[in-house]
Amino acid sequence: MKTTVIGAYPKIGDDLASQELRRALHRHDREEIDDAELETVFDAQTRIAIGEIESAGIDVTNDGQVRWDDLLAPVARTWSGVERGPLERFYDNNTYFRQPVIKGPIATDGQTFVRDYTFARGVAKAQLKAAVPGPLTFATLAQDEFYRSIEDRVLAVADATAREIRGLNDAGARMVDIEDPAVVASARHIELAREAYGRLADAAHALALVTYFFPPDAVLESLASFPVAAIAIDVRSRDTTAFERLDALRTKYVLLGVVDARNTRLETAEEVARYAERALKLVPEDHLKLAPTTSLEYLPRDIARAKLSALVEGARLVTGEKVPA
Amino acid sequence: MSEILPTTTVGSFGKPDYLTKARAQHARGKLGATELEELERKATAEWIRRQEDIGLDVLVDGEMYRGDMVAFFAERLEGFKIGGLVRSYGNRYYHKPIIAGKIRRTEPLTVKWFQYAQSLTSKPVKGMLTGPYTMLDWSYNEAYPTRRDAVLALAEFVRDEARDLEAAGARYIQIDEPAIHARPEEIGIAIEAMGIVTSGLHAKTISHICYGDFAAIYPQVLDLPVDQLDLAMANYGYRWLDLFDRNPFTKELAIGIVDVHAHATETVEEAAEGIRKGLRYVPAERLWPHPDCGLKTRTVEECVEKCVAVVEATKIVRKELAKVPA
Repeated sequence: MKTTVIGAYPKIGDDLASQELRRALHRHDREEIDDAELETVFDAQTRIAIGEIESAGIDVTNDGQVRWDDLLAPVARTWSGVERGPLERFYDNNTYFRQPVIKGPIATDGQTFVRDYTFARGVAKAQLKAAVPGPLTFATLAQDEFYRSIEDRVLAVADATAREIRGLNDAGARMVDIEDPAVVASARHIELAREAYGRLADAAHALALVTYFFPPDAVLESLASFPVAAIAIDVRSRDTTAFERLDALRTKYVLLGVVDARNTRLETAEEVARYAERALKLVPEDHLKLAPTTSLEYLPRDIARAKLSALVEGARLVTGEKVPA
Repeated sequence: MSEILPTTTVGSFGKPDYLTKARAQHARGKLGATELEELERKATAEWIRRQEDIGLDVLVDGEMYRGDMVAFFAERLEGFKIGGLVRSYGNRYYHKPIIAGKIRRTEPLTVKWFQYAQSLTSKPVKGMLTGPYTMLDWSYNEAYPTRRDAVLALAEFVRDEARDLEAAGARYIQIDEPAIHARPEEIGIAIEAMGIVTSGLHAKTISHICYGDFAAIYPQVLDLPVDQLDLAMANYGYRWLDLFDRNPFTKELAIGIVDVHAHATETVEEAAEGIRKGLRYVPAERLWPHPDCGLKTRTVEECVEKCVAVVEATKIVRKELAKVPA
């Protein structure tokens, strides 16, 4: 049973030694260090994040999204036509994001994520995947002063996202997570989302539509017809009927969010295994991967580490593998 | 309160540099609790005097002794553990509390500060509490089987605190619920819990709500059993007011007329226009101008500027109203 992570890894830990990035950002704000010095710290933290994820035994890692202030920040910073606006609450979290404000036609050179991906490739020993913010999430959370309808906005964002995915593809990324919680949070836009994903599909590699915070219940059957290879669902944040209906996704890989990345209560390996076994009744084993429900950044770093260990131990219990001491 | 358009603030003010430094020293074990409290009292007294000088009508203690509005209580209640650092945005982190056992209050937590602040002024000072729904939503719940169970347990603590504040003379008690729209489907739980808190109180009760999708809980939020809702409006370009066209607003409204997350302060005229917008929906006797939110992320000088804008804008609109024949 394979395991993976989703989204951002905690950027700092609780002991002073692991708060290098926090200090560097403060010093950068006060102009005590320059951009190059800050970048060095970002890179060092990326190594640490990847190292911690790998040493937990996770099969498919990402770069920890150390430079991402929030899900939308990387593209809000680089896309033309977009500015960063006021702070807003990010869904049902006590975590805030800068709301992108669309001022003109969105355009990108598709290079937003390439540098970080390339760096992470030089660091990661495990399989590495990239990630981009989902078009529906960006389009529904942004303030729009330019496009005339949500349809125009979503499709324009999808085109820019497709360009980013192609850029990643050219840099060697074979797997890309599209983190799009709005697909389950704003289920009324599901048809529009499907049309948007049609624009991403020509990028010829394994895309995963990653949902979280909300159960996929209202859209589960629709998700099967999205042109992506994998669907990630969160089965812990709220009650869900997904376990009884997972055969709807039989043509997809399923990334099952079984370890709650938004609560410190630690799952046991047995608990993780039980979730996996419920899913295995309807999903073949080679189509199932276990994951945290969302970014581990909603947890303190020591808890995040413990959650990853529980995830890996649970996955090994399912397949009867021995956990190395 | 004789004036129409009574002015107030949401609760917190920026801490003076000497206090910020002292808190950091205290956290590192280099300054004792007594010495820190002395400085907190000094800063509180300064803020009471500033509020009087500015001409605000209903004052607050400024929360010089609090860091985070949930952690302050969590650190002092049985059942809570203080968790590790998590990021709230940008480069800002906080210790997110963990509900690890049954919640119990061993002594009143805010009464002493209320009494001290009230002893420094003849103007009314608000008693300031964090609501049970927000306390749950901003903590990890490891102990209670459901979110509702945890919220209702917290409500009993907040109720005891509110009753103690009232007994100590508080005529205004504010129970903030900024997380109330985090999960709109749970608004019923927040309302049920607030019922436990405010039942039997004679003080005017207020709840501050900010940073979220207010439209998702309106008009249900009118059932929240408090006298006054205190809403961020300037940051949202007053768009929530449009909701009142369809479902009239039935409570007192404390209306945010200056944005607290910008360094620059709105002009007095911009702030006055905010009040005029509010007056289209709520009469002057029930409309309370104030800043959008707590001012703790601003410097002392910025806080003063923003409060002055509120008071000066209010004076302008009061004059305009006085000219209109009844």
